[in-house]
Amino acid sequence: MLTFLLRRFLSAIPTLLLSSLLIFFIIQLAPGDFLTPARLNPNITPEHIAALQRNLGLDRPLPVQYWRWLTNMFQGDFGESFAYQQKVLALAWPRILNSMCLVLPYLILYYLIAIPLGVYGALRQNSLGDKTINVVMYILLGFPSFFLALLVIFGLLQLRYATGWDIPINGMTSDNYLSLSPLGKFLDIAKHVAIPALVLAVSDAAGLTRVVRGQMLEFLHADFVRTARSKGVSEFSAVYRHTLRNALVPIIAGLGGLLPAIISGAGFIEVVFAYPGITPMTLDAIASQDLFLIAGVTMLSVILLIIGNVLADILLSVVDPRIRYA
Amino acid sequence: MRKALFVALALTVGSATAAPFVLPAKWMAANPSQAKTGGEVRIYSLSDYKTLNPFTSAEADSLPDLMSDVGLGGLFTQDPSTDKFIPHMADAMPTVSNGGKRFVVKLRQGMKFSDGQPITADDFVTTFKIHTDDKVGSNSYDSFFLNGKPITLKKIDDYTLQFDFPQVSSGAYVRMAFIPWPDHVFGPVYRSKGAEGIKAMWGISADPKTIVSPGPWVISNYQPGQRAVLRKNPYFGEWNKDGAGKPLPYLDTMSIRLLKDLNAGLAAYLAGQIDTFAPSKADDLAQIKRAIDSGNLKAQLFPNVSPNATSQWIVFNWNKAADPFKQKLFRDVRFRQAMSHIANRQGMIQLALGGLGTEVYTGVYPVFKNYQFASTPKYPYNLAQASKLLAQIGFTKKNAQGYLVDRTGKVLEFNLSTNAGNTVREQLGRIFADEAKKVGVKVNFTPIDFNNLVDQLTSKGPNRPFDAILLGLSGGDNIWPYGSNVIPCGGNLHAYNVPADGKCLTPQESLMTKLYYQGDQTLDDDARRKIGEQLSKAEALNQGFVYLVGTNYHVTFNSRLGGEYDRDLWDAYNLSRPYAHLTTYIK
Repeated sequence: MLTFLLRRFLSAIPTLLLSSLLIFFIIQLAPGDFLTPARLNPNITPEHIAALQRNLGLDRPLPVQYWRWLTNMFQGDFGESFAYQQKVLALAWPRILNSMCLVLPYLILYYLIAIPLGVYGALRQNSLGDKTINVVMYILLGFPSFFLALLVIFGLLQLRYATGWDIPINGMTSDNYLSLSPLGKFLDIAKHVAIPALVLAVSDAAGLTRVVRGQMLEFLHADFVRTARSKGVSEFSAVYRHTLRNALVPIIAGLGGLLPAIISGAGFIEVVFAYPGITPMTLDAIASQDLFLIAGVTMLSVILLIIGNVLADILLSVVDPRIRYA
Repeated sequence: MRKALFVALALTVGSATAAPFVLPAKWMAANPSQAKTGGEVRIYSLSDYKTLNPFTSAEADSLPDLMSDVGLGGLFTQDPSTDKFIPHMADAMPTVSNGGKRFVVKLRQGMKFSDGQPITADDFVTTFKIHTDDKVGSNSYDSFFLNGKPITLKKIDDYTLQFDFPQVSSGAYVRMAFIPWPDHVFGPVYRSKGAEGIKAMWGISADPKTIVSPGPWVISNYQPGQRAVLRKNPYFGEWNKDGAGKPLPYLDTMSIRLLKDLNAGLAAYLAGQIDTFAPSKADDLAQIKRAIDSGNLKAQLFPNVSPNATSQWIVFNWNKAADPFKQKLFRDVRFRQAMSHIANRQGMIQLALGGLGTEVYTGVYPVFKNYQFASTPKYPYNLAQASKLLAQIGFTKKNAQGYLVDRTGKVLEFNLSTNAGNTVREQLGRIFADEAKKVGVKVNFTPIDFNNLVDQLTSKGPNRPFDAILLGLSGGDNIWPYGSNVIPCGGNLHAYNVPADGKCLTPQESLMTKLYYQGDQTLDDDARRKIGEQLSKAEALNQGFVYLVGTNYHVTFNSRLGGEYDRDLWDAYNLSRPYAHLTTYIK
């Protein structure tokens, strides 16, 4: 196991170097730079723009900018944001924590919805329930999550009008958050997170439900399950210990992608619900070409992707006895 | 007895020199005695706050701006009822000498920062020094220079400042009206560590306890990406009173929700979670009206209060050496007038702006009412007139596809681009192209990336890489409302003609350049306005930019709020309430 980890660690170095190179230069390929909007400002003179360029280091040749960024990164410094004039990590970290508060409940809901529905669909194949789930999932598959979120917000607003309940419509905390007790703070965030997490889980579960259902159907008719049944194991054991465990192997292999997913936020849902996660900040950074903020956040998710994949491989060896790392 | 009398006299003299600024009651919609003290106003911002540092903040409505907001600036502020400057942090209007270039300003005594320290001449001088250090990168840097020559500021005594301008400037009062930040906080850092030390101060995650504000508000809490809470600076009310003598601001706190998405903002407003909203689309207005009409939202809605200080335009490139046909065409004023006649401005307002817009004919936004002149020529929508002008240039025949051709058979066509993703501009461009087709002009309209577009527009030289661009500009003031780098030749936004040497091409341009500087160097408001009338005429005759339409300003706020301007003073420039909720109260 230790040699396996060491090998993975060594192979990660060229991967990281290459991805840092790609990230930096692909961002540079986009026309214009952070100061482009300033050029359209009638109140800023070209001399002042030149001074700003000097201050931000945008006048230096690209390879020099890259080398400085790379060497700083080895010391844990992911560069400084142009817009905030602050270190990328200090800026991104609180946002990443906020995103985690949304993404973790979402992931739990996601699996809690998708796996039971998939198992149910496979066990009661072609029943009315299975068909209903199929139809609903088909519709959700073709439905962008941000649009679903907009509909939900509209619905919540009508509910608020009709009942007068104080339902949170957006944000992460209430106005009186700071004066709440620790338990009150937790409940306040839970209240705000519940709806976006559910919307995201429901709209994403459509795909996974179909995968689980397909996998279950395949393994339910496999030889080893028939053998187990003929040897007299209970139906529960045949379904959950023999079939489900095998059906989940490809899903566990995919867990490697979860770690970066946790820090890369919940995408447009965060924007629509005005949730202070990492996505709105990254989108802003992309729109304003805040070079080091985009590059820093992207590098962080590459690093986590590599760690996540190692963890997924280890998990896989636990679930699937055929896989062993020497 | 005599001694007691003397003390009493000294006290009255002392309090007379430390007289507070009294907000004129005639500005306000309601009698100040109706105002109540305390409570919270809940507003929103679409962009995340980037810094608390007043010297490095670059965006509009930043937290340092909000905390210190006392109108146009510190020393002087513009009276919305007359557009004239009145003293605010200054005790009186300045003593002007040296032919309008030297201003000696007495400071109001008794002003204090939020930490209780007095505001004196040192604070102004240190703030001025830091803004003018180009290593700091302050956005105000340019406002302390006139044509590259620096304005100087000297402290005469603790409560007297002397400004010396290199030349007479219409913008003198605006330039002098910057906000002072505490010398006792920034001064020692600047003197020991220089620009780098200043840049490292007051980042967005700085401890609110270390922040000192000269204005009505001071930060009390900031949750990244979620909410900023400002609390009242109690010392501000000592020198800022309302007409009834009550200290300002009335409110205890102002909380600002950070909402990345405009729909989220609308939802929060409709749900009664925020008190004001800036509706821009017809759909937003309709939803707010429906919520009010159905009794779900207790709020007031005022659509089309005034035009916004913004406009969209089309500019034609005069520097196309590689294509003499187009260069000659774009340089012909009759062609540009014809293009203005093609612009169906009413159609654009109805289709692209949902009926909520204003026709624009010159670079001075219609909201600056004091600089609109009847003598300014207009070239309104008139296809017959456009055809006539194009025939004069030599386009009389049409080809088989219905497009105008000249004697050699060359088709009258050009490329028009705008920034992709801006749906309003994309619609304006399509409407323009459709109308052009009716008279036989072929417009190849393609939205392209914003940064590419800006690179094309700001490029220099004899051969610039575009035909025509549809874009917009915004901002400015109503004191001398002509862009310093838009109107004069050689300015980087004089976008129709930017040769390498920056020279004017037509007499009209030379006249505009001359008038621009003449007006900019006139301190007298009425004399300046007369020059503005000539400049507007020259600008309209030149049609360097073909101005199209601008959006309108709408106001809506929750009925629990009071303390707005007199209804006649509302517009996109004065807004509807004085100085970032300074006079807002909770009913």
